[in-house]
Amino acid sequence: MIICSDITKSYSHGGRHKPVLNGVNLAIHRGDRVGLLGRNGAGKSTLIKLIGGVEMPTSGKIIRGMSVSWPLGFNGGFQGSLTGLDNARFIARIYQREYADIRRFVEEFTELGKQLRMPVKTYSSGMRARLAFALSLAIEFECYLIDEIILVGDQNFQRKCRTEMFERRQDRSMIVASHSPEFLKHYCNKAIVIHQTKATMYDDVNEAVERYEAL
Amino acid sequence: MAKSSLHRLRNSWAVQLRVIHALMIRELITRFGRENIGFLWVMAEPLLFAGLVGLLWHFTHGSTEHGVGVIAFVATGYIPITLFRHGVARSVAVFTVNQSLLYHRQIKIVDFILSRFIIEFLGGMMAYLFMAVVLIGFGEFPIPSDLGLLIAGWLLYSLFCLSVCLIIAPLSEMSEAMEKFIPVTTYIMIPFSGLFYMVSWMTPGARDFLLLSPFVNGMEMMRKGIWGDQVTAYYNIWNPIICSAIAILMGLILCRRVRRKLTIE
Repeated sequence: MIICSDITKSYSHGGRHKPVLNGVNLAIHRGDRVGLLGRNGAGKSTLIKLIGGVEMPTSGKIIRGMSVSWPLGFNGGFQGSLTGLDNARFIARIYQREYADIRRFVEEFTELGKQLRMPVKTYSSGMRARLAFALSLAIEFECYLIDEIILVGDQNFQRKCRTEMFERRQDRSMIVASHSPEFLKHYCNKAIVIHQTKATMYDDVNEAVERYEAL
Repeated sequence: MAKSSLHRLRNSWAVQLRVIHALMIRELITRFGRENIGFLWVMAEPLLFAGLVGLLWHFTHGSTEHGVGVIAFVATGYIPITLFRHGVARSVAVFTVNQSLLYHRQIKIVDFILSRFIIEFLGGMMAYLFMAVVLIGFGEFPIPSDLGLLIAGWLLYSLFCLSVCLIIAPLSEMSEAMEKFIPVTTYIMIPFSGLFYMVSWMTPGARDFLLLSPFVNGMEMMRKGIWGDQVTAYYNIWNPIICSAIAILMGLILCRRVRRKLTIE
């Protein structure tokens, strides 16, 4: 279970203060698949970063009762100047996994072939998504944080994600930020709508989508 | 309860060791690549610096000064100061440069500073050893009379360097102006680093003043360890220990404050 209690987050720059989240209380249970809805800049990525421990809340507390992946998104998690395989080796080291196992899975899942020996900064966003997913799936987290990225892949990648993430790992929790209502309706059983620094949890995804579309 | 928290501490310690190890390997690959001599480059710069300046002094000041070999004297001064200057330079903006790695929760910002510093520290030690062996071969360097004192001096000097890095790194994130002051500060530092002199060559007034610097205390220990009875050294081991402890405490507090506010792309 992940509990966010009374979280606020504000960014300040040059004396200006911008509140992003204010008084957010959430509980995410084991096996929950939570969709995250909100307009651009509403704070979806911020909430994911806070839950992932990448940034710290200005006040409030986050308690993680299960292993949580790093936020899988367009940025972060990789060192651009290193090759895909060097990144895999680094991640295997810090998560204490066998590099050989991780590498086998990454080669099979990403189908990137020789490209894995090139620096990650030369990758397209689709290729980064493949690598990030492959690594986090190989490590086997109990809760996955996914920031928009799932929809950038091609058909083949999306099919693989579906089998690996949504069919084989149904017992895992997931928090997915996405602008695609169809995707969320199909795969999530709960949804959070973020609007004007408030986050509201809905047990009915359809209701959340209606609320989001009315914004 | 006490047992479980001890267990947790041991686990976390193991995680941090693993992270620092991984960060060091990553740093070595990105900085030196896998071609030619690879990570041995880490000792190239301190060696070149110490060697060339030593030679320069050899020709301008003669081969000995106050009864000790000039090349060895300059070299033993330059390698520690290179550790300090490199350590500080590598600490500036270290969090921003590595921010994408903060996506992994087990990596703490202090790990960035530690992993970079350990590389400089090992590089400095390798350079020291290499230089001493070569110079001993040429008869320009004495066999250290007290190896323990030399190592203790090096460790205290390094500890203080590390504690300064722990302060510089968060400060450089807090204000951009800091960054501009660092080169000139490390330059001004040189006279207070014990690089070109033994304190015993100074007047008593200057001596007391210079011995306030933790660097000078560490340097005196190292030189006493090398030349033994040939030189008179003044030092107090508590000066670098106390200064480092205070600086480390301040640095860790600053790191914690900066981490809370760090914005990561």
